[in-house]
Amino acid sequence: MANRIQINKEFVDIMPQDYLDLVETGTFESPNRGWKDFGTATELIAEHSLCAGCPESIAFRHIMASIPNPEDTVMVGSTGCTSLVFPMIAVHNIHSLFGNQNAIATGLKRALAVRFPDRVKDVIVLAGDGATVDIGLDMTLQSWFRKERFTTICFDNELYANTGGQESGLMQKGFLAKMAPVGKRFDKVRLPEIARESGCDYVAIMTASKPSLVEKVIKQAVLIAREVGPTYIQIYTPCILEIGKQSMEGLQEMRTSEAPGERFKFREFISPEAQSFLDGLAEKKKAEKIAATT
Amino acid sequence: MYNVAEVNAEACVAQKGCRLCIMYCPEANCIQLDTQKMKAVIVESRCKGCELCVVVCDAAKHNAITMVAR
Ligand SMILES: Cc1ncc(C[n+]2csc(CCOP(=O)(O)OP(=O)(O)O)c2C)c(N)n1
Ligand code: SF4
Ligand code: SF4
Ligand code: SF4
Ligand SMILES: [Mg+2]
Repeated sequence: MANRIQINKEFVDIMPQDYLDLVETGTFESPNRGWKDFGTATELIAEHSLCAGCPESIAFRHIMASIPNPEDTVMVGSTGCTSLVFPMIAVHNIHSLFGNQNAIATGLKRALAVRFPDRVKDVIVLAGDGATVDIGLDMTLQSWFRKERFTTICFDNELYANTGGQESGLMQKGFLAKMAPVGKRFDKVRLPEIARESGCDYVAIMTASKPSLVEKVIKQAVLIAREVGPTYIQIYTPCILEIGKQSMEGLQEMRTSEAPGERFKFREFISPEAQSFLDGLAEKKKAEKIAATT
Repeated sequence: MYNVAEVNAEACVAQKGCRLCIMYCPEANCIQLDTQKMKAVIVESRCKGCELCVVVCDAAKHNAITMVAR
């Protein structure tokens, strides 16, 4: 059982079973947490109201399983389908006004450093493409220009899902949606490239089709944000409802969109500073392994 | 009526290490591993009936999951 995550003894008999499960078989303070905990440990997400089969749910699961220190993490969300999950996660989180997430995260990260000078606190933003690239673009970019040390995750479903399918900056050129019947006339905004040029030390673009890759990317992004500088991850989480797919077709849609030459083929940018940090981590791990076997 | 997933324990090969449905089910804490029998089990109250588990299990030719009406 985790040491810092405990229930006051006076309350044990009145706490719901889901809560007891989280404390007893949750993965707080587990150094090797990851998707391999699925099926045996209690995940940090309770039932939420996203559509059946929504890839945002899949990505959310993999992310919550992978963040390195959930007990010392604060997440910042924004309006959109993801905001239906945030009240159901077992990690501290703030719901920000639509688009303000990276400004809120900036203040939060700085305040946490003052309030807890001896403890590492991670801040992770998770918001939709409308929040990240359209309405919040100013806040997103300014936080990168200032080299704020937190991770920004964008759930890119290439439209405004929660309000019925309006055009977004990350929508593909020519795409038709229910509330964008003329077809988009501009290119998909190249936010990963913009992120790299704006000061991010680590950038990844991907889908949520491979849990082990999501796990690796999330861990790298959070650790680099902690020690080096801002990090950005853009994950394709197709809105099956708005693109006319069945509930079981989300995974195939992600796989098709990450094939060679497709727009979500896995790409990663790592700054030289971030790379030497990662190399240091790998060496430390290696040394630990050798020490453990001798 | 509502459709939920059901695992046929005889066909499930979780004892050989398969975790496909557990990995890809969009719902958290919905497909569990019975660590005694080493089989996948569905927590029906959390299942939204999306059928993604059927797709991944069938693609691996295990065909261990079917949808049942409740
Ligand atoms: C300040 C403000 N402007 C507009 C809205 C309306 N609104 C709610 S959700 C949403 C779109 C969300 O799109 P996205 O960020 O892509 O998330 P998704 O739902 O696609 O996951 C909008 C415009 C709002 N809630 N607040
Ligand atoms: S509307 Fe789209 S993005 Fe939102 S929960 Fe449904 S499938 Fe997911
Ligand atoms: S995918 Fe099929 S065979 Fe594999 S664990 Fe799930 S039910 Fe069993
Ligand atoms: S039908 Fe969908 S929600 Fe139900 S167990 Fe299968 S993958 Fe999970
Ligand atoms: Mg969106």
